Amino acid sequence: MSSHSHGTQLARIHGSRWLPYMLVLPGVVYLLVFQGIPLLQEMRLSVSNTSLLNPSRFNFIGVANFSRLLRDPNFFNSIQVTAIYVAGCVIGTIGLGLFAALLMDREFTGRSFVRSLIIIPWAAPPVAIALVFRWMLNGQYGIVNRGLEPLGLMPAEGLWLDNPSLALITVLAITIWQLFPFTAVVILASLQSVPKELKEAAQIDGAGLWAQFHAVTWPVIRPTVALLALLMTIWSIRRFELIWLLTQGGPVGSTNTLVIDLYRRGFIINKLGEAAAVGMVGMAVSVLVTIAYFAVANRATRAEKMR
Amino acid sequence: MTRSEFISHAALVIIFVLAGLAIFPFYWMFVTATTSDANMFAASPQLVPSLSQLGIFAQIFEEGAVKTWLANSFIIAAGTTVLTLALAIPLGYAFARFPFWGKAGVGIGLLVTQMLPEAVLVVPLFSIFSPLGLLNSYAGLILANTAFTLPVITWILKNAFDTVPVEIEEAAVLDGCTGINALVRVVLPVIMPSVAASAVIAFFHGWNEYVFALTFITNDTLKPASVGLAGFIGEISTPIQSVMAVGVVYTLPAVALYLLMQRFIVSGMAAGSVKG
Repeated sequence: MSSHSHGTQLARIHGSRWLPYMLVLPGVVYLLVFQGIPLLQEMRLSVSNTSLLNPSRFNFIGVANFSRLLRDPNFFNSIQVTAIYVAGCVIGTIGLGLFAALLMDREFTGRSFVRSLIIIPWAAPPVAIALVFRWMLNGQYGIVNRGLEPLGLMPAEGLWLDNPSLALITVLAITIWQLFPFTAVVILASLQSVPKELKEAAQIDGAGLWAQFHAVTWPVIRPTVALLALLMTIWSIRRFELIWLLTQGGPVGSTNTLVIDLYRRGFIINKLGEAAAVGMVGMAVSVLVTIAYFAVANRATRAEKMR
Repeated sequence: MTRSEFISHAALVIIFVLAGLAIFPFYWMFVTATTSDANMFAASPQLVPSLSQLGIFAQIFEEGAVKTWLANSFIIAAGTTVLTLALAIPLGYAFARFPFWGKAGVGIGLLVTQMLPEAVLVVPLFSIFSPLGLLNSYAGLILANTAFTLPVITWILKNAFDTVPVEIEEAAVLDGCTGINALVRVVLPVIMPSVAASAVIAFFHGWNEYVFALTFITNDTLKPASVGLAGFIGEISTPIQSVMAVGVVYTLPAVALYLLMQRFIVSGMAAGSVKG
């Protein structure tokens, strides 16, 4: 309300009611041209059998791409891989991030130094991360196997990313390693608003660590954690570079998420129409997750107000 | 030792272990770059960098390709930053300050665009850029990257503008500052930390970007470091020291700038990408 009346007043002072439109226009036109139109074109592609070899030829085939996907075991595999990957990322990054944030939320020497070190993986380029992890996990010369071999913990033939039963969990571990710094630092920031007196009072009352966390800390950070969970979900559904550079979706489809599957269909087997159909499914999932999130969040706020 | 002392010691140990895990791969990239050929495949691996091998970092620049890659990455990243800020500052300002027709719709658009995977738009952007001669050009990559930085940076800046009291602007206007001048001279300086953080985020989006560069650029002289370096992933026939040294040089500016701006970036990212 107040921003509304202030805004009108400001516009009057600025002497033009067109000012907001002039400010908004370039950005909006830009997004329409470079996101809106391509998205519409992708929707159009999803009902065609256009090939990468002849991208300008458009041949309407209705929902054939989608019904083919429904009969395609590869597609169901990539739905399953995506579900595991997304769930793993959300649980892993939030769990480890929360744990690290709680540990850093206390006074100790070197605290800001440690916090700086921990943020580094999140700041590094995915290409560099894939490069160094592929080297560290190299079957013969990688430091990981060299360290594990004497302990007898090396996997069969020393394979990690090329091992159908370990590739997904390895990619997940690398993803969590890269992203937990982000969740940790965001949760740490929200821990600053936990009232100190409440924590002390709980301590005096003899509450254990878990009881303190449950009664005092969690209610304060819950909204932040929920938002992070949404963000991690959307980012994981979208993630392409890291997975592509680590495994290209293999071996035997074990890390073939929807986005990887879409790229493979488009650029390896040249079927742009099918690729677009997979893209539509991925988009739909992201949008549904977001709508579900806001529905739950709204109900939670309303319930809070009712109390 | 009491129970609580034990817990806080254990916590300290765990936190340093986590920090160690976080930086080990970067340390290892550096160690590998400075390992001599003789030690590389020796029975027991060399665990510390050898300073006598630091010359590798000069050596990699003697090859033209590496310099070209880094220069290309820089141009693409800088272009993405400038274009993003030029579009996001007015958009974020309008969102924070004015009511306008279609505001809710544009807001939803900004949220939805954050869910679009780059991989989904690679094909249609390719077909739009092709007839316009934007493939194999810096401009094409800058235009594509900006489409993905604009939504999140707009929210970060909107949130920053929200924190500036409107009275400051009104006073400036009464003092004779007109229209857009009030924004540029009075409001922007107040939110400079957020603008700088946005610039860093946009810059490194352009610096790190891989899919568009991989698909749109076929001309070797225009390849950025992300694509150039990715060509060596999983390869051990090329001297691994050189590859890792390039990896270090490519990673360093990203990490250094992030560390400088970390406080603003993290709070901005969290607020900007979430509050939509």
